[in-house]
Amino acid sequence: MSSSVLQFEPELSQPLIQEVMTRSGQNLLSCYQCRRCAAGCPVGDATGVTPDRLIRMIIFGERQEALNNLLVWKCVACYTCGTRCPNNIQTARINETLKQISKEAHNKPLLPKVAAFHDAFLRSTSHFGRVNELEVMGLYEMQNAKRELKQGSGWRAIADEIKNQAKLGILMMKKKRIHFRLDKTKKRSEIKRLYKKAKDKAGG
Amino acid sequence: MQIAYYPGCSLHASSELYDIQCKKVFKHLGTELKEIEDWNCCGATSASKIDDFLSVALPARNLGIADATGLSEMLIPCSSCYNRTLVSQKILSEDPELKNKINTELSQKIEGKIRISSILDILLSKANSGEIAEKLIKKLEGLKPACYYGCLLTRFPCDMKIFDNIENPQGMETVCKAIGAEPLDWSYKTDCCGASASVNDTETSLFLMSQIIKDALARGANCFVTTCPMCQVNMDAYQDKVCKRYGIGKKIPVFFITELLGIAMGFNPQEMQIERHFVDCLGLLNELKLI
Repeated sequence: MSSSVLQFEPELSQPLIQEVMTRSGQNLLSCYQCRRCAAGCPVGDATGVTPDRLIRMIIFGERQEALNNLLVWKCVACYTCGTRCPNNIQTARINETLKQISKEAHNKPLLPKVAAFHDAFLRSTSHFGRVNELEVMGLYEMQNAKRELKQGSGWRAIADEIKNQAKLGILMMKKKRIHFRLDKTKKRSEIKRLYKKAKDKAGG
Repeated sequence: MQIAYYPGCSLHASSELYDIQCKKVFKHLGTELKEIEDWNCCGATSASKIDDFLSVALPARNLGIADATGLSEMLIPCSSCYNRTLVSQKILSEDPELKNKINTELSQKIEGKIRISSILDILLSKANSGEIAEKLIKKLEGLKPACYYGCLLTRFPCDMKIFDNIENPQGMETVCKAIGAEPLDWSYKTDCCGASASVNDTETSLFLMSQIIKDALARGANCFVTTCPMCQVNMDAYQDKVCKRYGIGKKIPVFFITELLGIAMGFNPQEMQIERHFVDCLGLLNELKLI
């Protein structure tokens, strides 16, 4: 975003900022760059881009940079930035919106494991109405493995990832913190209808 | 007295002990928890990253079921479920069109009348009224917990009125004092453990937890106490890894608030299922002669 200040073109920036503001419900234009959000962000040191900078990017209309920066993907949704913002801008919501836009545009997520996890979680809910941790982890690791294979990373990367999770799994089993019965909601038809409504809305 | 109860997925799975503790402790305090029927996952922190409609609609179905019970209050012990359900209820109260849209798909319609309570909301009132003191068998003297709230008990994605200070809440400290423990003042009580990042962005999560653990130890804490199953499982299951990675020399137990109440009210560690922790708890409780 270094030279963008000199290349600001309002007609390019409008669609992005309007989309993000409408969907996230946050008034980005009220940001006066006080950086209180940046000071409190627990992942800010690692992401480089802090909430104030992300807001600036969006105002400048830099779509690709707004979708592909570490803040959007490393944000832990702790809501610290938003509760401290003097103008009540909840950047965690902006990050969520940008993740949605990225998925809908079939963008490759900057941290694919983060996207894979949330996908797996929501798919698990759609199957049984309740989340079963073993199923989530299975769906998640399958998605990771598929991606690694596509990238040609070979079996070793896949095996390492699964070995890591299995270690924790065994520990959890020892402590009886994993359950093997399937927890289900009975009226899953209602949940399926809600999912369908969400899909129709996204499509229309 | 009977109140509605939404355990959520965690309390039926990795944090089943929390479910068991909640039911026993609340019953002992004269409150029967009535689990709402056929509930579903609230979408937790994942739904809002994929679809805004689902992030409201999933908890909304549970709200419809809860309203139909006719009970006036519902306890949600999990911070994430509590946060998402409260947010959904607020959004629906402000957006009748969305509420109608969701209601057309539900057999039990949302009315929006049930009061959603966190576990601290209820325990705090029981501490202030003296109900907890009445049931006390022993005081947890020598226990110096760092009360760990995490994110979602006090911070919300939208404006929400809560009955505690957002940056420096005191509810858990008050409850701990009511059972004779000596909670410490510390700086990381509302900091994030990383939640699901422990699975999908492990390094970030380990770093966040290292800061929390270091500060608690520097203040002289001999345990953590929490109400959030996600924080509990992260801080407990990953503590060994965090300590090794960041050269932290000491590990301390991560208690649910319910098991401390249970011990103080005379339940034994088996009844509270304390053996299901990753970091040993019995050593400390024995050393302090609390069991």
